Amino acid sequence: MMKSKQIVLFLCFAVLTAFGSVSESAAQHISDEELLKDTTGEELQEVIRSYQGEKAVLVNVWATWCAPCIEEFPYIVDLKQEYEDELHVVFVSADFPSQRDKALEFLKEQNVDWATFFKTGKDQPFIEALSNDWSGALPFTKVLNKEGKVIASWEQGAEYEKFERYIKKAINN
Amino acid sequence: MKLHRLVYVLLILLSVGFLAFLPVEDKLADRLEIGSKAPLTDVEVTDVSGEVLTLEEVAGENGLLVNFSCNTCPWVEAWEDRYNPITKMAEENGIGVIMLNPNAAIRNDGESMDDMQARAKSSNYDFYYALDEQAKLAEAFGATRTPDIFLFNSNMELVYTGAIDDNAKSAEEVDQPYLKNAIQNLVAGKEIDPKTTKALGCTIKWPK
Repeated sequence: MMKSKQIVLFLCFAVLTAFGSVSESAAQHISDEELLKDTTGEELQEVIRSYQGEKAVLVNVWATWCAPCIEEFPYIVDLKQEYEDELHVVFVSADFPSQRDKALEFLKEQNVDWATFFKTGKDQPFIEALSNDWSGALPFTKVLNKEGKVIASWEQGAEYEKFERYIKKAINN
Repeated sequence: MKLHRLVYVLLILLSVGFLAFLPVEDKLADRLEIGSKAPLTDVEVTDVSGEVLTLEEVAGENGLLVNFSCNTCPWVEAWEDRYNPITKMAEENGIGVIMLNPNAAIRNDGESMDDMQARAKSSNYDFYYALDEQAKLAEAFGATRTPDIFLFNSNMELVYTGAIDDNAKSAEEVDQPYLKNAIQNLVAGKEIDPKTTKALGCTIKWPK
């Protein structure tokens, strides 16, 4: 009788543990909430500033419906790994709120295992907080050096080589 | 003389070195500034009806509204429920309306004239929807995304550019109907404020 009670308790524990980790990607060790956090333009600026003096930063605004964004996304993930010690990547999804789960799914598919962001609020203050030179077209990329100085920014998709060129420039400047 | 030449060479080298440290902004053509004249107004474009038009011909007595739009952008889809009502309002106020499709790089992937005709039909477009075949007009306007608005007065001078309003997803939850306000103020002879706005959108797929 005692044994069967222990087995039931063990099973309950196992089931609860399994459900508890549902929102956590087993392979990535990061919760869904951390993997894709809501952000405003101002909050994002603070995140970018927090890397000043530590690492160069590449900010990339993307969306699941944006073909050039999806095309260039793996290049940026690869480069983050390649320059891990000197570069941080801040991905910001500009998907519509109804597409949030799709964005999360895509991040997992791409093996993103660090905190990324989900744009909230009105477009104009968000765009202006990120760059005066950005018209709002996606994708948008901005590369800053360790001191927080903008080395390059551009709208439109880009190839691996272009990302690497400006990442190197940001790291070496 | 030799010293002068050396100074020039040094100055050039210093300038090049300095430029290398400036931020690089990959910009396409500059966006039309407020007050600028509409460019390429005599260039012929073909509407989904087969009619061949120029911007000059589309313009009304009080001005012209140009929207760079397309078939494949979710932001266009989000704002599309405002296309016909804004057209009605503009035309009632003597402003001609045209949407131009600049997505030249993906004509075989949803942005052909056939696709435009199908979209105009399925979404009951009540305005000209014409092909900017090689995106020459978009380039001349300095448009960057879809949708992207340019409103001109009766002298074909730019008076407002940017977003339709501040809420793509819900017409009911718009706080700032930028374009409607601009049209009303234009015909009333009042100051337009703001004259430029920004919103997220899909990049124009420029010809390769």
